[in-house]
Amino acid sequence: MEKLIIGHFYPDLLNLYGDRGNVLALMRRAQLRGIEVEVKRISIGDDVKVGDIDIGFIGGGQDREQNIMADDMKNVKGPVIKQMIEDGVVFLTICGGYQMLGKYYEEHDGTKIECLGALPHYTKGENERFINDTVYEIDINGVKTTVVGFENHSGRTYLGEGEKPLMTVIKGHGNNGEDGTEGAIYKNTFCTYSHGSLLPKNPAITDMMLSIALKRKYGEDYKLPSLSTETEDLARKQALEYIG
Amino acid sequence: MASNFIPKLAANFTKSTLRIMGRGATTLPGKVAIKISPNTIKNAACGKKIITVTGTNGKTTTTHMITSMLRDLGYEVITNVSGANLASGVATTLLCEKPSKGVSKDKIVYVLETDEAAFAKIAGSLQPMVSVVTNLFRDQLDRYGELTHTRNLIANGIDKTSAKIILNGDDSLVASMGKGREDRSTFFGISLGTMISNEQANSKNTILEASTDASFCPDCNTRYEYKARFFGHLGHFVCPCCGFETPNKRFEVKFDPSGNTSETGFTFVMTDNDTDKNHTMSLKIAGSHNIYNTCAATSAVTKFLEIDKGVSEDDKTFFEKACESSNSVEAAFGRMEKIKVGDKNICILLVKNPVGLDRSLSFVADSKDADSLMLVLNSNIADGKDVSWIWDVDFESKAKDLPEKIYVSGQRYGDMMLRVNYSGREVDGYGSLDYATDLLKAALKDCPAGKCVYILPNYTAMLDLRGRLVKGLKLKDFWKE
Repeated sequence: MEKLIIGHFYPDLLNLYGDRGNVLALMRRAQLRGIEVEVKRISIGDDVKVGDIDIGFIGGGQDREQNIMADDMKNVKGPVIKQMIEDGVVFLTICGGYQMLGKYYEEHDGTKIECLGALPHYTKGENERFINDTVYEIDINGVKTTVVGFENHSGRTYLGEGEKPLMTVIKGHGNNGEDGTEGAIYKNTFCTYSHGSLLPKNPAITDMMLSIALKRKYGEDYKLPSLSTETEDLARKQALEYIG
Repeated sequence: MASNFIPKLAANFTKSTLRIMGRGATTLPGKVAIKISPNTIKNAACGKKIITVTGTNGKTTTTHMITSMLRDLGYEVITNVSGANLASGVATTLLCEKPSKGVSKDKIVYVLETDEAAFAKIAGSLQPMVSVVTNLFRDQLDRYGELTHTRNLIANGIDKTSAKIILNGDDSLVASMGKGREDRSTFFGISLGTMISNEQANSKNTILEASTDASFCPDCNTRYEYKARFFGHLGHFVCPCCGFETPNKRFEVKFDPSGNTSETGFTFVMTDNDTDKNHTMSLKIAGSHNIYNTCAATSAVTKFLEIDKGVSEDDKTFFEKACESSNSVEAAFGRMEKIKVGDKNICILLVKNPVGLDRSLSFVADSKDADSLMLVLNSNIADGKDVSWIWDVDFESKAKDLPEKIYVSGQRYGDMMLRVNYSGREVDGYGSLDYATDLLKAALKDCPAGKCVYILPNYTAMLDLRGRLVKGLKLKDFWKE
């Protein structure tokens, strides 16, 4: 029986806006296919080594909570996270987690906060917060799919060299409200501002992540068993109708 | 001294006008008065006996309980309508609600539910005798901002008063407000022994821990260690770095955790550690969180009686009186209220935030009369536009024990349907609010006599349902405001 180990980074500090739902979605769509799933808490005081996990998840937190974990992320777990990203471990990072993987975060008074630098994007803080229902389009292996979510961020993120946007914005602001991009993709690391939670209503992304992680672990020939998306599609359709 | 004559006149005029127009008048009169004189609240509150209740959860129920208990003890109590808990609503209550004729002034008490942010602004003007802080849980963060910010707002408000403060000792965020305010703080909560056994009784089926708040000590950024938890972040916490821990609680609750807190009449013992008195009480509004609310209300009433009547060394009767008066409590608007529909019941439990939904699901899972469950999710501004919070709740641990039939409705019924589905359960019916009455009728049709359909709506969903149910089920307008 196949097994996946999900590393949930700082769940007691980074747990805003239902980001926990993404871990549940990965668990559920794996378990329904008979794949065993273990979730490891990787917070302050917990050890993690390269090779420990198949999928990493980093959510967003409140300012105070992000301040508590920032040092640990940069100095203790940072090198391991960077190595895993370079090795092609599957990562999903949302909002604060997305920003922290980048080069720096510049507050509106000009103060630059150095971030992990695992990915080349940077973020600028602004006063106006983007708080909206959102609709995006994602291209997964040539298949275009509509994605629905919710954004809530004051940072404007600009992508760097070697990074591609994860999705294009149909409704909402996305990375910065200017260039129509949303999120970032680098190797097997997926970053987004979308809460919602993102994965439950967008099973195409869940399955893409599961498939990549399982292929890495069990070989390129591994084929993710098919699984209905009927309930998820119904929920997404209703959300899209409501958002209009 | 500044006079409130004109603002008061304007407020009452506004109120009469609104009443003539057939509209509720719970906030606008106060708004008009404050516009005329910013000192309205200060002037109106001057010389009045006031108790305030703030915190993210349990405000309405605790206010309601204190009101009922003080009335039972012979006080004339004036209180604000649930929801009218901003400055405008408080001003309206102070200016427009009139005590009965002939009641002596020292028998009149104002019990005011106060929004957390509004409390910071108006506490200094109100100068309450007693201030209760129930708890601090994440609410719609897009509306209220960070929890530590809310905590600081309340602490600032307290510092503008000389009120005795009644604090939840099991909530680290609330308990920390006692630091530096020791001489006027009284803590309440659940005894450690009860919590430990409760935790053992409840440790089942969790596959992924719910999103928690306040896991770390704000002074030294170290993770709290818990000797035991009750629910959420409420428990006996200890900071291994600075040693800050759940304070000694004057008012403590003990009970048998194998009992069912979903049943009205559940018995527990409340202890006043100052006077060494124990009192066996029965839960008037069911639900484990209402043990906290009862404890908060009894603590506040005891403290109020001590100040109001003057406590002498050997007088231990105030606590007893407060406990006995709790027998007068009945359910409040939208909170655990059972409504008869023929020989069946419906029960509406308002759920506004993750911990509220968590407690309500737990309540329904343990309710013996539960035949079906209906979850109704809206996303208007008053609810929070973001419905992501439903994923912060640990549905998984309760899913197996929820009623056989589950229905979902509201503007975001798709999101709720998927949430239920991901917990391992299927829904039996779904649809927008236009179908809510039909879904409820279907649920009632299948419901055996004496059993109950539990409805869990969020705020605007509840308001919307109210009208539909009255019309669709031909009920009397059963909501009191």
